[in-house]
Amino acid sequence: MIYLVVDDSKLARLSLVKALKTNIGNAEIFQATNGLEALQTMKNKSPDIVFLDLTMPEMDGYEALPKLLTINPKAKIVVVSADVQTKAKEKVIALGAQLHIQKPINADKIKEILELI
Amino acid sequence: MQAYNLTEDERDVLQELMNVAYGNATAVVADMLDAFASLSIPNISVITTNELLSTFAELKNESYFFATQSFNGEFSGESAFFIDQESAGNLAKHLELENEADLDDAILELTNVLTSSLTTKLSQEMDTEVSFSLPSLSKVSIESIKETPTFQQYSQVIVIDTDLNFQDQKIHGKIFILTKDESIQWLKIKLNSILELLI
Repeated sequence: MIYLVVDDSKLARLSLVKALKTNIGNAEIFQATNGLEALQTMKNKSPDIVFLDLTMPEMDGYEALPKLLTINPKAKIVVVSADVQTKAKEKVIALGAQLHIQKPINADKIKEILELI
Repeated sequence: MQAYNLTEDERDVLQELMNVAYGNATAVVADMLDAFASLSIPNISVITTNELLSTFAELKNESYFFATQSFNGEFSGESAFFIDQESAGNLAKHLELENEADLDDAILELTNVLTSSLTTKLSQEMDTEVSFSLPSLSKVSIESIKETPTFQQYSQVIVIDTDLNFQDQKIHGKIFILTKDESIQWLKIKLNSILELLI
């Protein structure tokens, strides 16, 4: 299983990678700092599961989400965002995300997510 | 006066903590207004009060409603919320308010909910607690803004500049968190300890 963590914040990426490693050991985890980098990594590495932030520079999560799924329709996208408005959740699910999870994230939350998807 | 700067890592950590706190606060306000807000990336900087005031000269509208709420604890300071007259008018229309007193009351309540949710969540993330004073509201012109007591109390401030943006309702506001030197020192230590736990 290959994972991709997309967030402009180093703190958010480190937290997520650490939480992932706690649950899955030494899996292959790639990182991207915005939607554009995520698209490139999707083309080159074909991750199975993508953890995607919404508010990012260059290309945000809303724009990147459908493009990631166009490149790899089988990828599972988990939106990890501070935007907890109901409409934001509805929007990302309509765009094809499997889940919308509220930040911050920890190892227990990742465990639940991995069991769900 | 000692100058404080945030390192790139400190700025990143604060920005992310602020992002989470702001997301929560916005959701509360969005429910209150039955509206949807677009979130922006908060811009974090440590600048002098004079530098902050000079940025206000770039604002397009001439007069603003300016609401503040102070908070106290290990992390202490003042949250400030600016909303221009046009946005305030749109807020009144959206909430079907009938007079100026009701609008003042609505802006104060909006400020109270927004800034206390924001600061509470930010404090929780930094494992500390704060207490709040009642918010106060004034209507200020850009020319007279530097005379407001809030800006006279702070020589150097961490400015967490983010927009409250309800596009459909055309309601836009700016939020700042102003802190004093002691809090900046405390904050730097806290941000580094958060990062060290992950590395």
